[in-house]
Amino acid sequence: GDRVIDVGSEWRTFSNDKAAKDPSRVGDAQNPLLNGGDLSTVISRGTGSASFDEFGNSKYQNHRTMSSSDRAMLNAFKEITNMSDRINLPTNIIDRTNNLFKQVYEQKSLKGRSNDAIASACLYIACRQEGVPRTFKEICAVSRISKKEIGRCFKLILKALETSVDLITTGDFMSRFCSNLGLPKQVQMGATYIARKAVELDLVPGRSPISVAAAAIYMASQASAEKKTQKEIGDTAGVADVTIRQSYRLIYPRAADLFPPDFKFDTPVDKLPQL
Amino acid sequence: MGFEGELPLHHSSFLSSEGGELGKELSDELDLSFLPDELSVQDAPPQTGGSAEQQDSGFTGEGVSVEDMSGAEHNQASPFCPMTPMTPMTPMTPASESSGIVPQLQNIVSTVNLVCRLDLKSIALQARNAEYNPKRFAAVIMRIREPRTTALIFSSGKMVCTGAKSEEQSRLAARKYARVVQKLGFPAKFLDFKIQNMVGSCDVKFPIRLEGLVLTHQQFSSYEPELFPGLIYRMVKPRIVLLIFVSGKVVLTGAKERSEIYEAFENIYPILKGFKKV
Repeated sequence: GDRVIDVGSEWRTFSNDKAAKDPSRVGDAQNPLLNGGDLSTVISRGTGSASFDEFGNSKYQNHRTMSSSDRAMLNAFKEITNMSDRINLPTNIIDRTNNLFKQVYEQKSLKGRSNDAIASACLYIACRQEGVPRTFKEICAVSRISKKEIGRCFKLILKALETSVDLITTGDFMSRFCSNLGLPKQVQMGATYIARKAVELDLVPGRSPISVAAAAIYMASQASAEKKTQKEIGDTAGVADVTIRQSYRLIYPRAADLFPPDFKFDTPVDKLPQL
Repeated sequence: MGFEGELPLHHSSFLSSEGGELGKELSDELDLSFLPDELSVQDAPPQTGGSAEQQDSGFTGEGVSVEDMSGAEHNQASPFCPMTPMTPMTPMTPASESSGIVPQLQNIVSTVNLVCRLDLKSIALQARNAEYNPKRFAAVIMRIREPRTTALIFSSGKMVCTGAKSEEQSRLAARKYARVVQKLGFPAKFLDFKIQNMVGSCDVKFPIRLEGLVLTHQQFSSYEPELFPGLIYRMVKPRIVLLIFVSGKVVLTGAKERSEIYEAFENIYPILKGFKKV
């Protein structure tokens, strides 16, 4: 008769068996979207005494050479995860970054560039695309690549993938900067309003939104009980304190118009510091 | 405005400024007739050699080339050739009015081949206003005061001339450098003079909403305030890069011809008018 080889699993599993593990499943969870069908075998380092030979070296050495074609890509994914962990980015951003990197890597148009630079730029783009942009300086802080190189790769990747990103606004950074400075919600809302009004009234033409945001935070915090110095705000925002001073000087004359109507003043508008 | 106004048209001052410069080398008149225009390309401005012999060289040379250049521009039908006021100003697009603003050229980069190997060390030692630091850069950096330009002279005999404000000045400056090299004893020629890049700038006189411009012209614009305060607009036809600032100042670069700069500005002006602030 016909011999049929049963390709089912070696052991029986019962549906009402409340075992935590599913023994019919072998291997780690695959990531087919990113790895391109990784079917290679990986031999991990041994743990028991039998896995070491007489000199103390591990007996089975071949823990290298797995999917060599995508080795660089896997390395980059590891680097992306490391960078994101440092600034506590959620999984959706990490996934998006990995996807962007995969697209760029497969296109090969930026092949000559350092993978870390491409990864950093992908991280920057992913944060932008998810609506929670990080400044270039924040990405620089977790990457070994210079801001200049990340900026260059950023522009090249946008060109290569034929995408674009939305322009950054002052409001994008308010919650993060204010939380880092330990400012209460009232001050944060005040600063957001001030920055938005300042841009609407075109008091700060040509100034980077980060600088305007920093100046707005300074004004709001100085008007409240939680006063922060320019240096502290500059350190958090990655802006020089002279830059904050410059933008502050531009918004100071119209300070009365910039505050939200329901703002609780600890220091009145006319007593705000004049730099 | 004619660009002749920018060039020194007074013989005596021209020569005396020249004479002061290079010391012993230029005791005689600056005669550039020895350097025929050897060009491997056919459609080139004609030789300045013939007419130069009769009068002081620089000017007639320029004069001849100017008229020929305007002749060439007739074919392109560029409405903005300020060099020859006689040319009828036919607008290219009668429907829209012209901006009335003409971009000013700020820098011209050109290259020329002197067709002989050069000993950079001897040039650096003998010539005035020459610096040579082989560890830093493998060329002699020479400067002349009139037209105020800088040249990079390589040992292969090739030279890059930068800093001139017009095509004729660039050519004249390149010839002067070639003359200097020749006087130092090298058999220099003047082959394949070519303008590689032209930079122009102008002011539209009104503030611009860059955020609006980047929204509508996404595929051409790049505006990243964190990286650069201006908007970088890469125009496809003509292939020119424009740096547009909030103040209304515009820098145009990447042109090989003056007309490309003018055309690019005429193309961008109506777009910028649409994004005027307030």
